[in-house]
Amino acid sequence: MNALVAFGRFEVGRLLRSWKFLVITVGFPVLFYMLFLRDHSSGKIVYAGVTWREYLMVSMCSFGALIAALNAGGSRVALERAGGWARQLRVTPLPAWSYVAVKMTASMLVVLPVVLLVELVAATFGGVSLPVGTWVGLSALLWVTALPFSTLGVLLGFAVSTEAVFPVVTGLLFVLAYFGGLFTPVSSMPGALQVAAHLLPNFHHLSLGLEVLSGRTLAASHWLVLAGYTVALGGLIVWRHHVEEARGVA
Amino acid sequence: MASAVHRFGELPPVDAPAHLGRPAPEPPSGAPCPEREPALLFSGVTHYYGDHRALDDLHLSVERGQTLALLGPNGAGKSTTISVLLGLVHPRFGHVEVLGRSPRDAVGSGRVGAMLQTGSGTGLPPGVRVVDVMRLVRRLYAHPAPLDVVVERAGITTLLYRRTDHLSGGQAQRVRFALAIAGDPEVVFLDEPTAAMDVEARRAFWKMIRALGDEGRTTVFATHHLSEADQVADRVVVMHHGQVVADGPGATLKAAVASRQVRFVADRADALVLNALEGVTDVQVRGTTVTLNCLDADASIRALVRSGVDFRDLEVTGAGLEEAFLALTSTAKRPEDERQP
Repeated sequence: MNALVAFGRFEVGRLLRSWKFLVITVGFPVLFYMLFLRDHSSGKIVYAGVTWREYLMVSMCSFGALIAALNAGGSRVALERAGGWARQLRVTPLPAWSYVAVKMTASMLVVLPVVLLVELVAATFGGVSLPVGTWVGLSALLWVTALPFSTLGVLLGFAVSTEAVFPVVTGLLFVLAYFGGLFTPVSSMPGALQVAAHLLPNFHHLSLGLEVLSGRTLAASHWLVLAGYTVALGGLIVWRHHVEEARGVA
Repeated sequence: MASAVHRFGELPPVDAPAHLGRPAPEPPSGAPCPEREPALLFSGVTHYYGDHRALDDLHLSVERGQTLALLGPNGAGKSTTISVLLGLVHPRFGHVEVLGRSPRDAVGSGRVGAMLQTGSGTGLPPGVRVVDVMRLVRRLYAHPAPLDVVVERAGITTLLYRRTDHLSGGQAQRVRFALAIAGDPEVVFLDEPTAAMDVEARRAFWKMIRALGDEGRTTVFATHHLSEADQVADRVVVMHHGQVVADGPGATLKAAVASRQVRFVADRADALVLNALEGVTDVQVRGTTVTLNCLDADASIRALVRSGVDFRDLEVTGAGLEEAFLALTSTAKRPEDERQP
């Protein structure tokens, strides 16, 4: 247990000290928030009582969570595995599963400050004002439901080679973000794309946040899709792990 | 926890040879006479990567406290052997024990340390200082060696506050050696620890490896340098095509691989006749050019003259490593064959 805590602290510390990673992770959603805010009249209602400036806050939180998770998991894990550090850890008493567990945890821990920072920018520069309870609830909800993104990130780190990981992460980032409705409300997209959006995790992540803001009840379907993604992607990590064990980590 | 090896920071007792380990810690299973069982055991281990047979019915037993060199060309199965011992690869067939238990359990118990090959990477996490990695890895073990002793032993005192991504290849290798011994392990595996090092750095590493053996640690290292195996190890195991082709003290093997190639031109060469000559282990005939691999070139040339084979342009050269391994493969069968009248 001591070993696991030591490794967890080491990994989280390493992630938080990597300023290039943090600047990119936090910079993009904040930058996009400020840019897109000017696009529309920000007070316009775009979703059941939710203004564009509020919509954009939730969608950029989702975008930031996605960037954080895919980079913390995907790119960094793939590079570490190629560099031999992951293998070195395998020949210490640290149990094999703890590598995945710590990577997931570290990735989730980076998502939280990203969500909070986007909200801070929205409150300060975007003129978003909410009751304290709603801020707390919204932040907690957007954080916890980012779990499928962290799972996807770690899976990419395990399944994709170093050469391919950057294009794959960047590609997925924009596909999931754009078609998930993070840049443009899904309701203003053509019909086929609206259907497609329902299959993507970010649409449901975004929808949960919007439902909080509009005071609606949270639809079970969003939870189900996000949970389904987490379970399926987690299963793929376990499967990759078993394949590697059988083939040998050589 | 008592241990069969001398802990870092302790001096070995003067009255006992360091290689004879003190009684090993009692395993939880209560196995009888733990100090009598070998530190490492392979019985009938076969492993495939796809269709490639990396280990071919490998049998090997290593006593506690022994320093063993795994010698062989690339692809001989050295790295696979070490990976199996570390539980990184589960062999398709056969049985492997490390300190009387499964490799995975042995690694999990913290009694094993390893320095692996890392390909193009450093094997270290980027973006942190060497001392941070050292502290982390020590915390992963229940009974680590004192940090200052490990640091001094690996010669990384001046590197401690350097970032891991600012190390040269040789410096990173020293740090990885330090990680291998950080847990004060009873068994240490080093997979080509001196790869890509210059002579001076390599000699410094030899001293470090010998020190492990002097403390009674069981040490296994892979190399393709015969001199390294000879000078550092108590015992040299030569591997070829996933099998042990020779096994013994370094000096014996060194004599065995002191083989020569004898090359000449002969218009009518009979491979069968040549193969029967004294000291010849292999014959190749290409057109009129004949190459003999010889364990004893002098004897072979005298026999060649006596045989009446008409030859010219005789040339004798030292054999390369590949030929040396071929020579070793045949020595395994030779003594009996030779004494036949």
